[in-house]
Amino acid sequence: MELRIAPQMAVMDKLKILGEAAKYDVSCSSSGSSRKNDGQGIGNTVAAGLCHSFAADGRCISLLKILFTNECIYDCRYCVNRCSNDVPRASFTPDEVCELTMEFYRRNYIEGLFLSSGILYSPDYTMELLCETVHRLRTVHRFQGYIHVKAIPGADPLLIQRTGYLVDRMSVNLEMATAEGLRAIAPNKHRKNILKPMRQIQNGITENKNEITLYKHAPHFCEAGQSTQMVIGALPESDYQIMSVAENLYDKFSLKRVYYSAFVNVNEDRELPALAGGPPLLREHRLYQADWLLRFYGFKVDELLTEKRPNFNIAIDPKADWAVRHLECFPVEINRADYQMLLRIPGVGVKSAGRIVAARRFGNLTFEDLKKIGVVLKRALYFITCSGRMMYPTRMDENYIVQNLTYQNRMGKGEKLPFLSDGTSYRQMSLFDMDGFDDGRTAVS
Amino acid sequence: MEDDRRETYNMEDKYLICEDSLEGIFTGIYEAYALREGHQHLHIQIGEEENLRLFAVYLHILPDPVKTDKVAQTLKRRLGEHVYHTLCRAAASCHLDKGEAVYRTVVDALTAGSGRRVMENLKNPYVARCFELARFTANEAHYETEFIRFQELAAKEPGENGVLFSRIGPKNNVVPFVMPHFADRLSIENFMVYDEHRKLFGVHPAKEEWYLVSAGEDFVLKEFALSEKEEGYQELFRAFHRAIGIKSRENKKLQRQMCAYRYQDYMTEFEQKR
Ligand code: SF4
Repeated sequence: MELRIAPQMAVMDKLKILGEAAKYDVSCSSSGSSRKNDGQGIGNTVAAGLCHSFAADGRCISLLKILFTNECIYDCRYCVNRCSNDVPRASFTPDEVCELTMEFYRRNYIEGLFLSSGILYSPDYTMELLCETVHRLRTVHRFQGYIHVKAIPGADPLLIQRTGYLVDRMSVNLEMATAEGLRAIAPNKHRKNILKPMRQIQNGITENKNEITLYKHAPHFCEAGQSTQMVIGALPESDYQIMSVAENLYDKFSLKRVYYSAFVNVNEDRELPALAGGPPLLREHRLYQADWLLRFYGFKVDELLTEKRPNFNIAIDPKADWAVRHLECFPVEINRADYQMLLRIPGVGVKSAGRIVAARRFGNLTFEDLKKIGVVLKRALYFITCSGRMMYPTRMDENYIVQNLTYQNRMGKGEKLPFLSDGTSYRQMSLFDMDGFDDGRTAVS
Repeated sequence: MEDDRRETYNMEDKYLICEDSLEGIFTGIYEAYALREGHQHLHIQIGEEENLRLFAVYLHILPDPVKTDKVAQTLKRRLGEHVYHTLCRAAASCHLDKGEAVYRTVVDALTAGSGRRVMENLKNPYVARCFELARFTANEAHYETEFIRFQELAAKEPGENGVLFSRIGPKNNVVPFVMPHFADRLSIENFMVYDEHRKLFGVHPAKEEWYLVSAGEDFVLKEFALSEKEEGYQELFRAFHRAIGIKSRENKKLQRQMCAYRYQDYMTEFEQKR
């Protein structure tokens, strides 16, 4: 296999270039697979995933996230590796990737490998390299940890299928929320080519589930499901458009995760917005909060946004925003409300809602009990009663409550906005830690 | 009935002084039940108290493996694995009120009758405390499974893989809780996790069961020779760690929130910076 790169380049230099080149891919999750070690090689997987380190920007590092190569025949405008850019190029060999993965994994630096790639020669050629690499990792090295591989749009479906049987997760990046957006910004990419492998992977997963119910030992196909990523803020799409696309991907393509990546104008491309204050992190943050609400809190996009109100309130998180606009549903009696309603109370997360339901069997809960359970009372107090009483007398008035909820923010306390700026900075275990209680590594509540 | 009540009135508080270990606490619970005096005036205390209470009786309890096992079996059988593990985690806490919290939680479960649901009874302050302590231990154990860094020591024979060694400094006694994770994951490796505060080793010989070794108070860890490639991989990981961060989003405060200094101090990728 001859590559265009000087083959004698040291692994250290390649790792610097190809780690750097992969950093804008936000997904680093290692969740969704649960596999014990078989005693023949190293590795296992943990359903909730594990973070292993945190980068200087505060994002979780779970996987060895690298590009196989940053050579690329395409010219996507938002991408550093586009062919019209003059940047140092490098390519790994499959063996180099295997060795790095194995040695990092043994030392507990990482949970596995996330392998993405620029398009070298052609989609097929590239996909074949990726497939070959993970095949070696699984068979020669008997690696049983987590593997996430990008499916290259336009590659032979057979290659994608073969890869799917070797890895835990595959993803195809949607890149832009709308087809027009994609055309404008990534001239070589077509919506159709992106959705096709996405559908193929979805079908592969469904069929595989049936196989596994029939034959217990049938090999797994992308056990951890598939994810995708959208770039946010490069084009003037509304939050409503973006979230509707996300909802569709969850409902129609059974995606596990949609990631939102705040646009960074790495190429200083004049046709694209130059963002003075850096990437629109706050917006990205709101999208992630809303995403959680869709996946774990039973919300629908149409409840959160409308054509007339297409963007999230920057001052207040989407759940609180919904609550203050639906004051007729509040206050909620903690000792009686059903689980779904508890979930809708600002300051109550998935975990604390579950604990409330369990604990109130032993007697009526008081505000003191709620505090122990992990309810964030300074947010919840406007929306709840315990045995018919509110914590303090409050006015059920939208402006009054919003003022109070945002007071902490204005004082520089309370919601730590840009610090939780993307999906990967939520700890992976935060699926059940959303109420900001368990470890102080708060998400929305 | 009458007699009982009189007795309770006259009775002074009794403190069972137990060793700071799971055995210590479980033996204490065994003795507390063996006294058959009810539980109202009994307390479990870990280690010596500085301010001895007037009118209190102090009993010193030596840890006893047989009694420990009896208590463990009973708790597992009557309360289920889940509650049992919660109690073990609470008992591994660094907070010394854990003895009393675990004891009173057991009383709530076995004597007051909340049974398998005891951990849901957060209205009982001791249950709530136990819950909190167990969560603290569980969280720390979870972080250690993520943040532990192994170094490969020099192998005996050239060409072999060396022993993987990790040194940690946790607040709670988490080694027993992290070992099962790595024993599965690194089943074919020889590895050791060393808690330098407790001088406690978790040892896993390749393809065998893991076990704990207490090195004793006077133990001093000596420097090990590293394998030939060890430095190189550490350098590679540090380089990767630097490369993956987005400069325009640098946020050391968030980094510290996610991974506290007390972990960073033991981690390959942070060593150089501090
Ligand atoms: S396909 Fe587009 S986004 Fe991917 S590496 Fe090439 S230029 Fe970048």
